[in-house]
Amino acid sequence: MGGFWIYGEWGENGFHPVVYELISVARRLAPKLAEKVTVVVLGTDDLREAARELFRYGVEKVLLFIHPELSYFRDDLYAEILAAAIKERDPSVFLFGATAEGQALAPRVAGLLGLGLTAHCIAFEVDDEARLIQIRPSFGENVMAKIVSKTRPQMATVRPGVFPKAEPQASGEGEPEEIRLSEVPKSVLRRRAVYPVPRKESPLSEAKVVVAGGRGLLTKENFEKLHELAKLLSGAVGATRPVCHLGWISEEHMIGVSGETVAPRLYIGFGISGALQHTVGMEGSEVVVAVNTDPEATLMQRADIAVVGDATRILPLLIRRIREIKEGRDGAS
Amino acid sequence: MNLIVCLKPVPEPGTVKVDPETHTLKRASSELIINPPDRFALEMAVELKERYGGKVTALMMGPPNAVPLLKEAYALGADELVLLSDRAFAGSDTLATSYALAKAIQKLSPFDLVLMGKASIDGETAQVGPETGAWLGIPSITQVKTLVRGENDAWVARRIFEDFEEEVEFSPPAVITVEPETNDPRPPSLKRLLAVRNLEPQVLSARQVDCDPTKTGLSGSPTQVLDVFTPTYEGKREVLSGEPEEVVEKLVSILRERGLI
Ligand SMILES: Cc1cc2nc3c(=O)[nH]c(=O)nc-3n(C[C@H](O)[C@H](O)[C@H](O)COP(=O)(O)OP(=O)(O)OC[C@H]3O[C@@H](n4cnc5c(N)ncnc54)[C@H](O)[C@@H]3O)c2cc1C
Ligand SMILES: Cc1cc2nc3c(=O)[nH]c(=O)nc-3n(C[C@H](O)[C@H](O)[C@H](O)COP(=O)(O)OP(=O)(O)OC[C@H]3O[C@@H](n4cnc5c(N)ncnc54)[C@H](O)[C@@H]3O)c2cc1C
Repeated sequence: MGGFWIYGEWGENGFHPVVYELISVARRLAPKLAEKVTVVVLGTDDLREAARELFRYGVEKVLLFIHPELSYFRDDLYAEILAAAIKERDPSVFLFGATAEGQALAPRVAGLLGLGLTAHCIAFEVDDEARLIQIRPSFGENVMAKIVSKTRPQMATVRPGVFPKAEPQASGEGEPEEIRLSEVPKSVLRRRAVYPVPRKESPLSEAKVVVAGGRGLLTKENFEKLHELAKLLSGAVGATRPVCHLGWISEEHMIGVSGETVAPRLYIGFGISGALQHTVGMEGSEVVVAVNTDPEATLMQRADIAVVGDATRILPLLIRRIREIKEGRDGAS
Repeated sequence: MNLIVCLKPVPEPGTVKVDPETHTLKRASSELIINPPDRFALEMAVELKERYGGKVTALMMGPPNAVPLLKEAYALGADELVLLSDRAFAGSDTLATSYALAKAIQKLSPFDLVLMGKASIDGETAQVGPETGAWLGIPSITQVKTLVRGENDAWVARRIFEDFEEEVEFSPPAVITVEPETNDPRPPSLKRLLAVRNLEPQVLSARQVDCDPTKTGLSGSPTQVLDVFTPTYEGKREVLSGEPEEVVEKLVSILRERGLI
């Protein structure tokens, strides 16, 4: 039967944002494997409407497994159901978001079926033999690894925030395939309570423009000019880890593996070398500008526009020039 | 109560380099340490033992030179030390690692809880815990902050999800992965440091724990690393250089052209 499966994690507020990111990955790759983009959802009747909505995002098939016992996530039970579904339907790929739930569930399924699983992927390719090349960072060593899986389905978890979200389309309708389970395996886990933990809202992750600074800005005083630039561009300020630790800005502004993931239309990095630990958090940016005295710096290689020069001088000049433009526009009349 | 804590030997950070020819990770020095997140699992196990009685077995799969790490675990409160060591385990991915650990854990049965770190600092997949639970056919509960014994035989774990925490009740046995920084690992005890000098870990081979040779090591690992590389970018990038005033002017006009400012 096959299929390019993605796990439809849901919660209080509908599907987890990472599901839409997985859909965009699947829509790009599934045709190369001649497979259908399929979302697999485990839950109750309450999910039928939301599951139907998925077709608007270019999903070709939705499998909705329904049973009252599936009203909340339970590792053992969910894994058993997915394992049985895999055995029955033989998908060629199965991707999960590397969320807390995805990271608990995917390896459990892999263990039940003896499957390979690649963790926290940030890029994929399909090779000539129709193998899914799974690319993941190794932060400790500042390198990337290309991994393939010898077992089927090829399974991977995907780092949230890296891929663009699929957008709803004008057309796109369909009916989920509902699988009403008459019985489910007994779970050993019983939820007693949940305690909401307010997600620390970071304006960063949603920002359309991010202006970020690193050690190359040399002083806190220089760094703080970024706030002015951010304001002019209606953007947010980001930072590398060392400058957060230097106390130039609070850690909520850190971009990278230990901080936020951003995917703005425009990212400008001043005096940032471009260590993998940082770039993994801004890989999804549309246009990257780097300002660095060293034209060989990694971020300069990665940039769409590489500005060779002293960031401490370029930043104030850029602010002045953009202010002129904005004021000229606003004040012209 | 029988508690098993899985401790991974990892290279000291900063001692690993990529071999530019073979693309494999080269260990510049063989300095091994206990995977730092596993210290929180060990501390949780020792605290449970102090509260409810029983013993803590430290289980490590690794090379013979990992023995000092197990002795350190003794000084930190573990009672029994087991090194699972065999050339057959070389090159194991998470599936093969969890298989071997599960086989060793079965040998150490009966047990109540298996505690693990959330993730290692080298492979950092966070997969070994749930996979081990699956091999053993017992539940796995990830990112646990606290663990208490409730009424009857039930236990209650508080675990972390993204925007909520859950209190979940279960009956042992189970595999627990412990969220880092949720307790305060104690310093090594002097008395135990002295006692461990005359103690050697039990060493178990693949055969001694009844491993199926087709499921261990490189050949038993379904994931295959094709390449390890440092990302290089070659693209249609534009390089602007010159006097600061000049480059700012050029940059601004490009950004305006593209409608970015
Ligand atoms: C486990 C782990 C997790 C980590 N997590 C993160 C993370 O989440 N986020 C993160 O950012 N880092 C993280 N790091 C740190 C990361 O490895 C790098 O050290 C860090 O990103 C580098 O910051 P930087 O670019 O500001 O500094 P540097 O690497 O020192 O780079 C400074 C750059 O500025 C340039 N420069 C110098 N003077 C000027 C000037 N006058 N004008 C213009 N350019 C100039 C230099 O050429 C250089 O390229 C982590 C590290 C580890 C080991
Ligand atoms: C760069 C790189 C990328 C890799 N990517 C993958 C991948 O995507 N998929 C994959 O299957 N394998 C991968 N591996 C292999 C994997 O890291 C090793 O198989 C390793 O033995 C176990 O995985 P982990 O370090 O990720 O452990 P984790 O799952 O992160 O460890 C969780 C816990 O399991 C316990 N544990 C783990 N190993 C041991 C041990 N040897 N002895 C005792 N307890 C242990 C510890 O309590 C630890 O805290 C990768 C390795 C490298 C170097």
